[in-house]
Amino acid sequence: MSGMDFANSPVVWIFGSAIVALVIFQAIKFLSLSKKAAREIGMSDSEIKRAVKTGSITAIGPSIGIIIVAVSLISLIGNPLTMMRIGVIGSAPIESMGAQLSAESAGATLAGEGFTPEIFNLVVWTLCIGGAGWMIFTFFATPYLSKIQTKLTSKPKGEYLMSIIASGAMIAVFGSLTGAEMIKGAPYIFTAAVAVISSLTFNYIANKKGINWLKEWSLGFSILISLAAVYFFI
Amino acid sequence: MNEFRAASHRWGRITIGLGILISLAMPLYISFVMGYHPGFSLIINSFLAYAAVVAIVWFLEPIMYFPVLGVSGTYVAFFTGNISNMCLPAVASCQEAVGVEPGTDKGEIVGTLGISAASLVNKIILIPVILAGLWLLTVIPESVQEVFPYVLPAIFGAVLAQFAGKYPIYGVLALIIGILVNMAPIPLFTKNVLCIVLLVCIMLAAGKLKSKKA
Repeated sequence: MSGMDFANSPVVWIFGSAIVALVIFQAIKFLSLSKKAAREIGMSDSEIKRAVKTGSITAIGPSIGIIIVAVSLISLIGNPLTMMRIGVIGSAPIESMGAQLSAESAGATLAGEGFTPEIFNLVVWTLCIGGAGWMIFTFFATPYLSKIQTKLTSKPKGEYLMSIIASGAMIAVFGSLTGAEMIKGAPYIFTAAVAVISSLTFNYIANKKGINWLKEWSLGFSILISLAAVYFFI
Repeated sequence: MNEFRAASHRWGRITIGLGILISLAMPLYISFVMGYHPGFSLIINSFLAYAAVVAIVWFLEPIMYFPVLGVSGTYVAFFTGNISNMCLPAVASCQEAVGVEPGTDKGEIVGTLGISAASLVNKIILIPVILAGLWLLTVIPESVQEVFPYVLPAIFGAVLAQFAGKYPIYGVLALIIGILVNMAPIPLFTKNVLCIVLLVCIMLAAGKLKSKKA
Protein backbone atom coordinates (compact mmCIF):
# COMPACT_ATOMS: atom_id res chain seq x y z
CA MET A 1 0.00 0.00 0.00
CA SER A 2 1.36 3.43 -0.91
CA GLY A 3 1.37 6.29 1.56
CA MET A 4 -1.27 8.08 -0.46
CA ASP A 5 -3.64 5.09 -0.39
CA PHE A 6 -3.18 4.92 3.34
CA ALA A 7 -3.75 8.68 3.65
CA ASN A 8 -7.28 8.17 2.33
CA SER A 9 -8.04 4.99 4.27
CA PRO A 10 -10.97 4.60 6.71
CA VAL A 11 -8.80 4.84 9.86
CA VAL A 12 -7.62 8.32 8.92
CA TRP A 13 -11.16 9.34 8.01
CA ILE A 14 -12.43 8.19 11.42
CA PHE A 15 -9.88 10.21 13.42
CA GLY A 16 -10.28 13.25 11.16
CA SER A 17 -14.08 13.20 11.39
CA ALA A 18 -13.97 12.73 15.17
CA ILE A 19 -12.02 15.90 15.78
CA VAL A 20 -14.04 17.98 13.32
CA ALA A 21 -17.25 16.73 14.96
CA LEU A 22 -15.82 17.84 18.30
CA VAL A 23 -15.07 21.34 16.96
CA ILE A 24 -18.63 21.60 15.64
CA PHE A 25 -20.03 20.40 18.96
CA GLN A 26 -17.95 23.02 20.78
CA ALA A 27 -19.21 25.82 18.54
CA ILE A 28 -22.84 24.80 19.13
CA LYS A 29 -22.27 24.47 22.88
CA PHE A 30 -20.68 27.92 23.19
CA LEU A 31 -23.36 29.44 21.00
CA SER A 32 -26.01 28.27 23.45
CA LEU A 33 -23.93 29.18 26.52
CA SER A 34 -23.33 32.73 25.30
CA LYS A 35 -26.96 33.14 24.21
CA LYS A 36 -28.06 32.25 27.71
CA ALA A 37 -25.54 34.64 29.27
CA ALA A 38 -26.58 37.39 26.87
CA ARG A 39 -30.23 37.09 27.95
CA GLU A 40 -29.19 37.12 31.60
CA ILE A 41 -27.37 40.45 31.27
CA GLY A 42 -30.41 41.87 29.52
CA MET A 43 -29.49 41.84 25.85
CA SER A 44 -32.46 41.77 23.50
CA ASP A 45 -33.11 38.92 21.09
CA SER A 46 -32.51 41.22 18.14
CA GLU A 47 -29.06 42.13 19.49
CA ILE A 48 -28.20 38.44 19.92
CA LYS A 49 -29.41 37.71 16.42
CA ARG A 50 -27.37 40.56 15.04
CA ALA A 51 -24.18 39.27 16.70
CA VAL A 52 -24.70 35.74 15.39
CA LYS A 53 -25.50 36.99 11.92
CA THR A 54 -22.47 39.27 11.80
CA GLY A 55 -20.17 36.46 12.94
CA SER A 56 -21.56 34.13 10.28
CA ILE A 57 -21.15 36.67 7.50
CA THR A 58 -17.62 37.53 8.61
CA ALA A 59 -16.59 33.87 8.37
CA ILE A 60 -17.48 33.57 4.68
CA GLY A 61 -14.59 35.58 3.25
CA PRO A 62 -11.78 33.95 5.26
CA SER A 63 -13.23 30.46 4.71
CA ILE A 64 -13.22 30.90 0.96
CA GLY A 65 -9.75 32.40 1.21
CA ILE A 66 -8.25 29.19 2.58
CA ILE A 67 -9.82 26.95 -0.06
CA ILE A 68 -6.82 27.11 -2.38
CA VAL A 69 -4.32 26.16 0.32
CA ALA A 70 -6.69 23.48 1.58
CA VAL A 71 -7.09 21.98 -1.84
CA SER A 72 -3.38 22.03 -2.53
CA LEU A 73 -2.80 20.26 0.80
CA ILE A 74 -5.16 17.48 -0.32
CA SER A 75 -2.86 16.58 -3.16
CA LEU A 76 0.02 16.26 -0.67
CA ILE A 77 -1.47 14.58 2.41
CA GLY A 78 -4.89 13.28 1.31
CA ASN A 79 -8.44 14.42 2.13
CA PRO A 80 -9.07 13.31 5.74
CA LEU A 81 -5.82 14.63 7.24
CA THR A 82 -6.38 17.90 5.38
CA MET A 83 -9.88 18.11 6.84
CA MET A 84 -8.49 17.44 10.31
CA ARG A 85 -5.65 19.97 10.05
CA ILE A 86 -7.71 22.73 8.39
CA GLY A 87 -10.65 22.09 10.74
CA VAL A 88 -8.74 22.79 13.96
CA ILE A 89 -6.10 25.22 15.22
CA GLY A 90 -3.01 25.61 13.07
CA SER A 91 -3.05 27.60 9.87
CA ALA A 92 -3.05 26.16 6.38
CA PRO A 93 0.34 27.63 5.38
CA ILE A 94 1.95 26.35 8.60
CA GLU A 95 0.48 22.91 8.04
CA SER A 96 1.87 22.65 4.53
CA MET A 97 5.25 23.77 5.82
CA GLY A 98 5.10 21.18 8.62
CA ALA A 99 4.18 18.40 6.21
CA GLN A 100 7.00 19.40 3.88
CA LEU A 101 9.53 19.51 6.73
CA SER A 102 8.54 16.04 7.98
CA ALA A 103 8.82 14.40 4.58
CA GLU A 104 12.14 16.11 3.92
CA SER A 105 13.62 15.07 7.24
CA ALA A 106 12.99 11.45 6.18
CA GLY A 107 14.36 12.03 2.70
CA ALA A 108 10.97 11.53 1.04
CA THR A 109 8.68 13.67 -1.09
CA LEU A 110 5.04 14.26 -0.14
CA ALA A 111 2.74 12.15 -2.31
CA GLY A 112 5.80 11.13 -4.34
CA GLU A 113 9.09 9.23 -4.07
CA GLY A 114 9.39 7.16 -0.88
CA PHE A 115 6.02 8.31 0.53
CA THR A 116 5.16 5.16 2.49
CA PRO A 117 2.47 4.77 5.18
CA GLU A 118 5.29 5.23 7.72
CA ILE A 119 6.25 8.60 6.24
CA PHE A 120 2.59 9.61 6.15
CA ASN A 121 2.39 8.73 9.83
CA LEU A 122 5.48 10.85 10.46
CA VAL A 123 3.57 13.79 8.99
CA VAL A 124 0.62 12.89 11.25
CA TRP A 125 2.88 12.85 14.32
CA THR A 126 4.39 16.23 13.51
CA LEU A 127 1.17 18.03 12.61
CA CYS A 128 -0.89 16.53 15.44
CA ILE A 129 1.59 17.27 18.20
CA GLY A 130 2.26 20.65 16.60
CA GLY A 131 -1.41 21.62 16.62
CA ALA A 132 -1.83 20.25 20.13
CA GLY A 133 0.73 22.83 21.34
CA TRP A 134 -1.85 25.64 21.26
CA MET A 135 -4.52 23.44 22.77
CA ILE A 136 -2.32 22.26 25.63
CA PHE A 137 -1.30 25.80 26.50
CA THR A 138 -4.90 27.03 26.27
CA PHE A 139 -6.09 24.10 28.38
CA PHE A 140 -3.69 24.86 31.23
CA ALA A 141 -3.21 28.64 31.03
CA THR A 142 -6.71 30.03 30.44
CA PRO A 143 -7.86 29.65 34.08
CA TYR A 144 -4.78 31.64 35.19
CA LEU A 145 -5.23 34.32 32.54
CA SER A 146 -8.83 34.58 33.67
CA LYS A 147 -7.76 35.12 37.29
CA ILE A 148 -5.36 37.89 36.26
CA GLN A 149 -8.14 39.56 34.30
CA THR A 150 -10.57 39.39 37.21
CA LYS A 151 -7.98 40.93 39.55
CA LEU A 152 -7.27 43.70 37.08
CA THR A 153 -10.90 44.63 36.46
CA SER A 154 -11.79 44.61 40.16
CA LYS A 155 -9.38 47.52 40.78
CA PRO A 156 -10.59 51.10 40.34
CA LYS A 157 -10.05 52.11 36.72
CA GLY A 158 -9.58 48.40 35.97
CA GLU A 159 -12.44 48.24 33.47
CA TYR A 160 -11.04 51.28 31.69
CA LEU A 161 -7.56 49.76 31.58
CA MET A 162 -8.84 46.45 30.27
CA SER A 163 -10.82 48.15 27.54
CA ILE A 164 -7.78 50.23 26.45
CA ILE A 165 -5.59 47.12 26.36
CA ALA A 166 -8.19 45.17 24.41
CA SER A 167 -8.81 47.89 21.83
CA GLY A 168 -5.11 48.74 21.61
CA ALA A 169 -4.14 45.10 21.08
CA MET A 170 -6.68 44.72 18.30
CA ILE A 171 -5.73 47.90 16.45
CA ALA A 172 -2.03 47.11 16.82
CA VAL A 173 -2.35 43.54 15.55
CA PHE A 174 -4.31 44.59 12.50
CA GLY A 175 -1.94 47.48 11.87
CA SER A 176 0.89 44.98 11.95
CA LEU A 177 -0.88 42.37 9.80
CA THR A 178 -1.92 44.97 7.23
CA GLY A 179 1.59 46.44 7.23
CA ALA A 180 3.13 43.02 6.67
CA GLU A 181 0.89 42.49 3.64
CA MET A 182 1.49 45.95 2.23
CA ILE A 183 5.25 45.61 2.07
CA LYS A 184 4.80 42.65 -0.31
CA GLY A 185 4.18 44.93 -3.29
CA ALA A 186 1.88 47.23 -5.20
CA PRO A 187 -1.18 44.95 -5.66
CA TYR A 188 -1.14 44.27 -1.91
CA ILE A 189 -1.03 47.97 -1.06
CA PHE A 190 -3.80 48.58 -3.57
CA THR A 191 -6.02 45.82 -2.11
CA ALA A 192 -5.52 47.00 1.46
CA ALA A 193 -6.20 50.62 0.49
CA VAL A 194 -9.45 49.73 -1.29
CA ALA A 195 -10.47 47.62 1.71
CA VAL A 196 -9.78 50.48 4.13
CA ILE A 197 -11.73 52.98 2.03
CA SER A 198 -14.75 50.74 1.43
CA SER A 199 -14.90 49.67 5.06
CA LEU A 200 -14.77 53.30 6.23
CA THR A 201 -17.47 54.25 3.72
CA PHE A 202 -19.83 51.41 4.68
CA ASN A 203 -19.47 52.09 8.38
CA TYR A 204 -19.96 55.82 7.84
CA ILE A 205 -23.15 55.30 5.85
CA ALA A 206 -24.43 52.65 8.26
CA ASN A 207 -23.89 54.89 11.29
CA LYS A 208 -25.16 58.05 9.67
CA LYS A 209 -28.37 56.52 8.35
CA GLY A 210 -28.72 53.95 11.12
CA ILE A 211 -28.77 50.98 8.73
CA ASN A 212 -28.02 48.01 10.94
CA TRP A 213 -27.89 45.31 8.28
CA LEU A 214 -25.19 47.26 6.48
CA LYS A 215 -23.00 47.05 9.60
CA GLU A 216 -23.37 43.27 9.52
CA TRP A 217 -22.32 43.08 5.88
CA SER A 218 -19.72 45.84 5.91
CA LEU A 219 -16.72 43.53 6.32
CA GLY A 220 -17.99 41.01 3.76
CA PHE A 221 -18.74 43.70 1.19
CA SER A 222 -15.38 45.41 1.73
CA ILE A 223 -13.49 42.17 1.13
CA LEU A 224 -15.50 41.45 -2.01
CA ILE A 225 -15.04 44.95 -3.42
CA SER A 226 -11.28 44.98 -2.84
CA LEU A 227 -10.90 41.54 -4.43
CA ALA A 228 -12.95 42.66 -7.44
CA ALA A 229 -10.79 45.78 -7.69
CA VAL A 230 -7.51 43.88 -7.53
CA TYR A 231 -8.83 41.43 -10.14
CA PHE A 232 -8.79 44.30 -12.63
CA PHE A 233 -5.61 45.81 -11.20
CA ILE A 234 -3.35 42.80 -11.82
CA MET B 1 -21.56 36.37 34.33
CA ASN B 2 -19.73 34.19 36.87
CA GLU B 3 -21.92 31.27 35.92
CA PHE B 4 -21.06 31.86 32.25
CA ARG B 5 -17.32 31.97 33.05
CA ALA B 6 -17.54 28.72 35.02
CA ALA B 7 -19.49 26.98 32.26
CA SER B 8 -16.99 28.28 29.68
CA HIS B 9 -14.07 26.85 31.65
CA ARG B 10 -15.84 23.52 32.08
CA TRP B 11 -16.94 23.04 28.45
CA GLY B 12 -13.85 24.68 27.03
CA ARG B 13 -11.56 22.32 28.88
CA ILE B 14 -13.69 19.25 28.15
CA THR B 15 -13.73 19.90 24.40
CA ILE B 16 -10.09 20.99 24.11
CA GLY B 17 -8.98 18.14 26.40
CA LEU B 18 -10.74 15.62 24.14
CA GLY B 19 -9.19 17.36 21.13
CA ILE B 20 -5.71 16.87 22.60
CA LEU B 21 -6.45 13.20 23.29
CA ILE B 22 -7.61 12.54 19.73
CA SER B 23 -4.57 14.38 18.35
CA LEU B 24 -2.25 12.12 20.34
CA ALA B 25 -4.28 8.94 19.85
CA MET B 26 -4.19 9.15 16.07
CA PRO B 27 -0.42 8.84 15.47
CA LEU B 28 -0.10 6.38 18.38
CA TYR B 29 -2.78 4.15 16.86
CA ILE B 30 -1.23 4.19 13.41
CA SER B 31 2.22 3.49 14.89
CA PHE B 32 1.49 0.76 17.37
CA VAL B 33 -1.85 -0.80 16.48
CA MET B 34 -1.45 -0.73 12.71
CA GLY B 35 2.34 -1.04 12.82
CA TYR B 36 3.34 1.88 10.57
CA HIS B 37 5.86 3.31 13.03
CA PRO B 38 8.41 5.70 11.49
CA GLY B 39 10.73 5.46 14.54
CA PHE B 40 11.10 7.94 17.37
CA SER B 41 14.34 9.49 16.17
CA LEU B 42 12.65 10.56 12.95
CA ILE B 43 9.62 11.82 14.83
CA ILE B 44 11.75 13.89 17.20
CA ASN B 45 13.85 15.33 14.37
CA SER B 46 10.86 16.29 12.30
CA PHE B 47 8.95 17.67 15.28
CA LEU B 48 11.90 19.82 16.36
CA ALA B 49 12.26 21.27 12.87
CA TYR B 50 8.58 22.21 13.00
CA ALA B 51 8.61 23.41 16.60
CA ALA B 52 11.57 25.68 15.90
CA VAL B 53 9.24 27.74 13.72
CA VAL B 54 5.99 27.69 15.68
CA ALA B 55 6.65 26.75 19.32
CA ILE B 56 6.91 30.33 20.56
CA VAL B 57 3.55 31.13 19.00
CA TRP B 58 1.83 28.45 21.13
CA PHE B 59 2.45 30.63 24.18
CA LEU B 60 2.37 34.12 22.72
CA GLU B 61 -0.92 33.96 20.83
CA PRO B 62 -3.23 32.81 23.64
CA ILE B 63 -1.72 35.44 25.94
CA MET B 64 -1.71 38.35 23.54
CA TYR B 65 -5.25 37.80 22.26
CA PHE B 66 -6.72 37.09 25.69
CA PRO B 67 -7.83 40.66 26.45
CA VAL B 68 -9.74 40.67 23.16
CA LEU B 69 -11.18 37.15 23.22
CA GLY B 70 -11.86 36.67 26.92
CA VAL B 71 -12.25 33.25 28.55
CA SER B 72 -14.97 31.83 26.33
CA GLY B 73 -13.57 33.32 23.12
CA THR B 74 -10.12 31.88 23.84
CA TYR B 75 -11.46 28.34 24.21
CA VAL B 76 -13.37 28.53 20.94
CA ALA B 77 -10.72 30.39 18.93
CA PHE B 78 -7.81 28.16 19.96
CA PHE B 79 -9.71 25.06 18.98
CA THR B 80 -11.29 26.13 15.71
CA GLY B 81 -8.22 28.05 14.48
CA ASN B 82 -8.01 30.87 11.90
CA ILE B 83 -7.53 33.34 14.71
CA SER B 84 -6.23 36.43 12.95
CA ASN B 85 -8.05 36.01 9.66
CA MET B 86 -11.44 34.92 11.04
CA CYS B 87 -11.94 34.94 14.81
CA LEU B 88 -10.59 38.42 15.56
CA PRO B 89 -12.43 40.03 12.63
CA ALA B 90 -15.62 38.26 13.79
CA VAL B 91 -15.22 39.68 17.31
CA ALA B 92 -14.49 43.15 15.98
CA SER B 93 -17.40 43.35 13.57
CA CYS B 94 -19.90 41.86 16.05
CA GLN B 95 -18.93 44.31 18.77
CA GLU B 96 -19.22 47.12 16.23
CA ALA B 97 -22.60 45.90 14.94
CA VAL B 98 -24.11 45.55 18.41
CA GLY B 99 -22.27 48.60 19.76
CA VAL B 100 -20.40 47.19 22.76
CA GLU B 101 -16.88 47.87 24.07
CA PRO B 102 -14.13 45.25 23.76
CA GLY B 103 -12.67 44.01 27.04
CA THR B 104 -15.99 44.27 28.92
CA ASP B 105 -18.31 41.44 30.01
CA LYS B 106 -20.89 42.34 27.40
CA GLY B 107 -18.14 42.61 24.80
CA GLU B 108 -16.95 39.11 25.65
CA ILE B 109 -20.44 37.60 25.34
CA VAL B 110 -21.11 39.33 22.02
CA GLY B 111 -17.67 38.26 20.77
CA THR B 112 -18.31 34.64 21.74
CA LEU B 113 -21.66 34.66 19.94
CA GLY B 114 -19.79 35.88 16.87
CA ILE B 115 -16.82 33.48 17.04
CA SER B 116 -19.03 30.43 17.66
CA ALA B 117 -21.19 31.32 14.68
CA ALA B 118 -18.09 31.99 12.58
CA SER B 119 -16.59 28.64 13.59
CA LEU B 120 -19.76 26.82 12.51
CA VAL B 121 -20.00 28.60 9.17
CA ASN B 122 -16.29 27.92 8.55
CA LYS B 123 -16.79 24.16 8.98
CA ILE B 124 -19.97 24.17 6.92
CA ILE B 125 -18.06 25.77 4.02
CA LEU B 126 -14.84 23.78 4.36
CA ILE B 127 -16.17 20.23 4.77
CA PRO B 128 -17.88 20.03 1.36
CA VAL B 129 -14.85 21.74 -0.19
CA ILE B 130 -12.55 19.08 1.16
CA LEU B 131 -14.90 16.30 0.12
CA ALA B 132 -15.07 17.76 -3.37
CA GLY B 133 -11.31 18.17 -3.18
CA LEU B 134 -9.14 18.43 -6.23
CA TRP B 135 -12.12 18.55 -8.58
CA LEU B 136 -12.82 22.06 -7.33
CA LEU B 137 -9.56 23.52 -8.61
CA THR B 138 -10.46 22.48 -12.13
CA VAL B 139 -13.78 24.35 -11.88
CA ILE B 140 -12.62 27.71 -10.49
CA PRO B 141 -11.19 29.75 -13.41
CA GLU B 142 -7.50 30.49 -13.12
CA SER B 143 -7.97 34.24 -13.32
CA VAL B 144 -10.20 34.07 -10.25
CA GLN B 145 -7.68 31.89 -8.41
CA GLU B 146 -5.07 34.59 -8.97
CA VAL B 147 -7.03 36.89 -6.67
CA PHE B 148 -6.90 34.49 -3.70
CA PRO B 149 -3.53 35.66 -2.30
CA TYR B 150 -5.09 39.10 -1.84
CA VAL B 151 -7.82 37.86 0.49
CA LEU B 152 -5.58 38.55 3.50
CA PRO B 153 -4.73 42.22 2.84
CA ALA B 154 -8.43 42.76 2.08
CA ILE B 155 -9.56 41.30 5.42
CA PHE B 156 -6.85 42.98 7.46
CA GLY B 157 -7.33 46.39 5.85
CA ALA B 158 -11.11 46.29 6.31
CA VAL B 159 -10.84 45.33 9.99
CA LEU B 160 -8.23 48.00 10.64
CA ALA B 161 -10.56 50.59 9.11
CA GLN B 162 -13.33 49.51 11.44
CA PHE B 163 -11.24 50.72 14.36
CA ALA B 164 -9.90 53.70 12.51
CA GLY B 165 -13.51 54.91 12.47
CA LYS B 166 -13.55 54.94 16.25
CA TYR B 167 -9.93 55.97 16.89
CA PRO B 168 -8.69 57.59 13.65
CA ILE B 169 -5.31 58.65 15.03
CA TYR B 170 -4.53 55.28 16.53
CA GLY B 171 -5.58 53.50 13.35
CA VAL B 172 -3.08 55.49 11.29
CA LEU B 173 -0.45 55.15 14.00
CA ALA B 174 -0.96 51.37 14.16
CA LEU B 175 -0.46 51.07 10.43
CA ILE B 176 2.72 53.14 10.50
CA ILE B 177 4.11 51.15 13.43
CA GLY B 178 3.03 47.96 11.65
CA ILE B 179 4.85 48.80 8.43
CA LEU B 180 8.02 49.91 10.23
CA VAL B 181 8.13 46.92 12.58
CA ASN B 182 7.52 44.49 9.74
CA MET B 183 10.33 45.98 7.69
CA ALA B 184 12.71 45.72 10.63
CA PRO B 185 15.02 42.69 10.60
CA ILE B 186 13.62 41.06 13.76
CA PRO B 187 12.19 37.56 14.24
CA LEU B 188 8.67 37.12 12.90
CA PHE B 189 7.05 36.07 16.18
CA THR B 190 8.15 39.26 17.96
CA LYS B 191 6.53 41.57 15.44
CA ASN B 192 2.87 41.48 16.47
CA VAL B 193 3.79 41.54 20.16
CA LEU B 194 6.07 44.53 19.67
CA CYS B 195 3.30 46.41 17.85
CA ILE B 196 0.83 45.69 20.67
CA VAL B 197 3.23 46.81 23.39
CA LEU B 198 4.13 50.02 21.54
CA LEU B 199 0.57 51.04 20.74
CA VAL B 200 -0.93 50.19 24.14
CA CYS B 201 1.84 52.19 25.85
CA ILE B 202 1.16 55.17 23.60
CA MET B 203 -2.59 54.93 24.25
CA LEU B 204 -2.10 54.71 28.03
CA ALA B 205 0.31 57.66 28.01
CA ALA B 206 -2.11 59.71 25.92
CA GLY B 207 -4.93 58.82 28.32
CA LYS B 208 -2.85 60.02 31.29
CA LEU B 209 -1.99 63.29 29.56
CA LYS B 210 -5.65 63.92 28.83
CA SER B 211 -6.78 63.23 32.40
CA LYS B 212 -4.06 65.57 33.71
CA LYS B 213 -5.25 68.38 31.46
CA ALA B 214 -8.86 67.84 32.53
